[in-house]
Amino acid sequence: MSLFFFHPVYLYGLFAASLPLIIHLLNRRRLKRIRFPAVRFILLSQRRISRSYRLRHWLVLALRTLAVILLVLLLARPVFQTGVGLLAGSGPASIVVLLDNSMSMTWSDGGQGFDHAKRAIGGLLTALKAGARAAVIPTYDSARAAPRLKAERELLLKDLEAIKLSATTADFALALKRAYALLKEPAAQKEIWLFTNMNLTGWERFSLAQLEHYDGLIPLKIVKVGESGRLPNATIKEIKFEGQGIGVGMPVHLTAHIVNFSDEEIRDVPVALSLEGKNREQKLVSLPPQGELAVSFQFSLQRPGPHSGQVELKKAGLAGNPVTHFTVQAEDKLRVLLIDGDPRTSLVQSETFFLARALNPSAGSDASLFLPTVIIPEGLGSVNLDSYQALVFCNVATIPDNLVPKLRDYVARGGGILFFLGDRVHMEDYNRKLFQSSPAILPGLMKDKKIPTASPGETIDKLDLGHPALQGLKDRILQESLSSSRVQGYFLVEPNGASALLTLSSGRPILLEKKVGSGRVLFFTTAADRDWSDLPLKTAYLPLVQSLVSYLAGGKRGLADPGLTVGSPKSFSFPRAYAGRKLRIVMPDQSERELAIDAEGEKAAAFTENDLAGVYRLSVQGTLAESAFSPQHYAVNPPFLESRLKAIDEDELKAKLSPIRAEVLALKSLEKGGGSWDLSFPLLFLLLAALAAEGWIAQKSHA
Amino acid sequence: MADQQQNYFDPLVLARLSSLYLRARWVVEGVMSGIHRSRARGFSVEFEEHREYSPGDEIRRIDWKALGKFDRYFIKEYEDETNLRAYLLLDTSASMDYASNGISKFTYGCTLTASLAYLILRQQDAAGLVTFSSGIGSFVPPKARRGYLMEILHALEACKPAGETDVGKILQEIAGQMKRRGLVILVSDLLDEPEKILKGLRLFRLKGNDVIVFHLLDAAELDLPFDGNILFEDIEEAGLKVTADPQVIRRAYQKVVTEFTQQLRKECHDNSIDYQLLTTSTPLDHALVSYLSWRG
Repeated sequence: MSLFFFHPVYLYGLFAASLPLIIHLLNRRRLKRIRFPAVRFILLSQRRISRSYRLRHWLVLALRTLAVILLVLLLARPVFQTGVGLLAGSGPASIVVLLDNSMSMTWSDGGQGFDHAKRAIGGLLTALKAGARAAVIPTYDSARAAPRLKAERELLLKDLEAIKLSATTADFALALKRAYALLKEPAAQKEIWLFTNMNLTGWERFSLAQLEHYDGLIPLKIVKVGESGRLPNATIKEIKFEGQGIGVGMPVHLTAHIVNFSDEEIRDVPVALSLEGKNREQKLVSLPPQGELAVSFQFSLQRPGPHSGQVELKKAGLAGNPVTHFTVQAEDKLRVLLIDGDPRTSLVQSETFFLARALNPSAGSDASLFLPTVIIPEGLGSVNLDSYQALVFCNVATIPDNLVPKLRDYVARGGGILFFLGDRVHMEDYNRKLFQSSPAILPGLMKDKKIPTASPGETIDKLDLGHPALQGLKDRILQESLSSSRVQGYFLVEPNGASALLTLSSGRPILLEKKVGSGRVLFFTTAADRDWSDLPLKTAYLPLVQSLVSYLAGGKRGLADPGLTVGSPKSFSFPRAYAGRKLRIVMPDQSERELAIDAEGEKAAAFTENDLAGVYRLSVQGTLAESAFSPQHYAVNPPFLESRLKAIDEDELKAKLSPIRAEVLALKSLEKGGGSWDLSFPLLFLLLAALAAEGWIAQKSHA
Repeated sequence: MADQQQNYFDPLVLARLSSLYLRARWVVEGVMSGIHRSRARGFSVEFEEHREYSPGDEIRRIDWKALGKFDRYFIKEYEDETNLRAYLLLDTSASMDYASNGISKFTYGCTLTASLAYLILRQQDAAGLVTFSSGIGSFVPPKARRGYLMEILHALEACKPAGETDVGKILQEIAGQMKRRGLVILVSDLLDEPEKILKGLRLFRLKGNDVIVFHLLDAAELDLPFDGNILFEDIEEAGLKVTADPQVIRRAYQKVVTEFTQQLRKECHDNSIDYQLLTTSTPLDHALVSYLSWRG
């Protein structure tokens, strides 16, 4: 039931209703003054007529105001309508129908809400009179097609049929923006119909300011689709992974946070973890009312490469998204060769003791991504360097001559070397073989040696935390731990254009980096053990060493990704060699998209059509090894709040939309049909009656 | 001819004459067609009739010859034209200064008073003048002397309309000061409580005076012919003001004024007082004719 105006612009004329009052007030202000001898007679006469006169006076004023209002309403041509009244009414109309296809509609009206809404819209479109134009727009449009008003019923019904439920929240602002843009075209009648379950999440995101342009006089009819009732309402809020790096055989800790939106406890909910489509573990939990519960899983992967999985609430009759996808990129263990230049019979005194334990704390188990191997310098000749992703030289006195070209070649092909110095190091040998001969491997020229003294030493003052090699030190506690360490002995190195990752309080660099070909060289100017610093005793030592070695090995530490939410864009970065090639994306529904890789960098490619929940798999066409980039897949999940089946209050919604004239109708009211009545004639009659009454009373007053 | 006669007494035409004397003379000469007889009896050389003696009559007026003839006492009566004492009472309050058509009630009242004085003195009666507003202004005692008119006219010309009026109270005061009976002619807009006015007038009558009331109003005071919303401020009483739409209240106003004048007229009639309602547009001869008709 509503009131519609053919020419709503005339309604601005309602301001004119104040004219009689304004004229009355102006007249009162424009008083003529007369000095008169018989004022007492005027007072007497006024006293006699006062009451009836005032009554008539205000009556006349009210009638004049009413006459103006009636005239304005008459010009605006009002039509009273019930149900689908307008569509059944006369006159050319432009109508935009918005259909809420947000995920929450899945559970509306006992799971039938979306279909009921579509059926009702179909009825409306069929009932359109000749000449009327309409458009049907979903509140989340994955097709991103520019809508237009159409007069052909068949096309409109086809558009309606093409709208599917989405896996995300409704974007009411965008949908209304499109509707108002369409309704800018002139039409005798304009209306917007919105079929929605009024889910709170979508409306929480909405604000009128997002619309930029709207016409408050165009009626907005919100048809409320039935609610989900009292179904148990729960979903997985998020999943989190613990630990650093994911490698083959390493345990992966996953925690799923499950939220219960219902006011009642949900008992015996099976929570299942599956990997690559196979069930791995299932737990039975009870969810407290309006509460949250963390469910932990542990699993390990047997082969390197991309893996996908999901956590699912396997309880029947549960309202809310039950599945959350995730992806895991597992790496093979990183083989690291440690060359101990100062081996001792006592392990603790060995140069590599702390280093080896930092890389593999539980020595021998599968808990670490790193697989360190310790040798003495004499063993270098019989080792195949290519078997290792990183080499770490610890206090090695001299570099064998035959090793130098091997090291250069190793680094040039992408290998990583980390040098730790110490009291055994021959500065001239290092300078001559690794810095002064071309191509240089060392990032700087060693100039002098600062021998440890009884002094407390220098602290590490400056950390280049933006450098990827120090990614493992993001935590502030680790940074403080590193800064608190004391360095008594180190080599004075003159950086030759190399970047300093760590700098001492004296301003001298303690960790330098040089890129050689496809590989990297890190140069620690102090020792790896406790001889020259207390660094190995600090909390930051383990993450620092792991971070440096990971960096040298190409940054491959494995990755567990809980994914992104539906509708969010995904950016990819590729090595330079991939520029200009096509990135193929296989979507969860097995449809494929292609994307051109523009250039090297953070946003070498971006994919915006993440409209479906599930796992998206990537591949690059061409002769390059397809596994040389990461990630090779990613997960997309619905926003968890979309599973919260709570509707916005009608008054709150109207207040949010104000000054747009919004009216909330029940879906059932449409089924009853309706009608429309042109109010012009009754208004004309009332206007004439008001004018006649005004004239009669005014004349009587002045008679 | 009729039009000329009308113009002759038109107050507006008369107002153009600066001299009050000329105005009075103009009016009176135009009206008078001859000497009328005095209703008052008194001493004169011309014998009129005999009447039988009654105790209290003066002994010297007994006609002794008639006693001889008829053996009864008769008193000789003579015509007397000089012993009418007329008191002209003119209201000079501020409200008299009101003029809606070019001539104020005050101007009209002065001309009327002067004309009456001229007429009375011309008939060898005694005429006096009392002007008043909130109190007695000027007092010219009544005399029948030739040339006395100029004294009355000077007193009138010296008057300016000002002050509030309390007609009832003033009339009582004047009545208290009058030592001899005579004719009291009141010229006023009588904008006061009717009861108070009538109380004063009755006092004149109780002292044996004849009273003529010329109730002088402006036509606008009778009809309220204004338009639009108007703030009416009282001429006399500062602070008394009222906003009204004359179109709305006109009917009620006219009714109030009519009731007021009718009450005055009735009460005057009941007390043998001549009451004449005049407006400033009424030709002055009407007033004089009214006086002369009383004079007989």
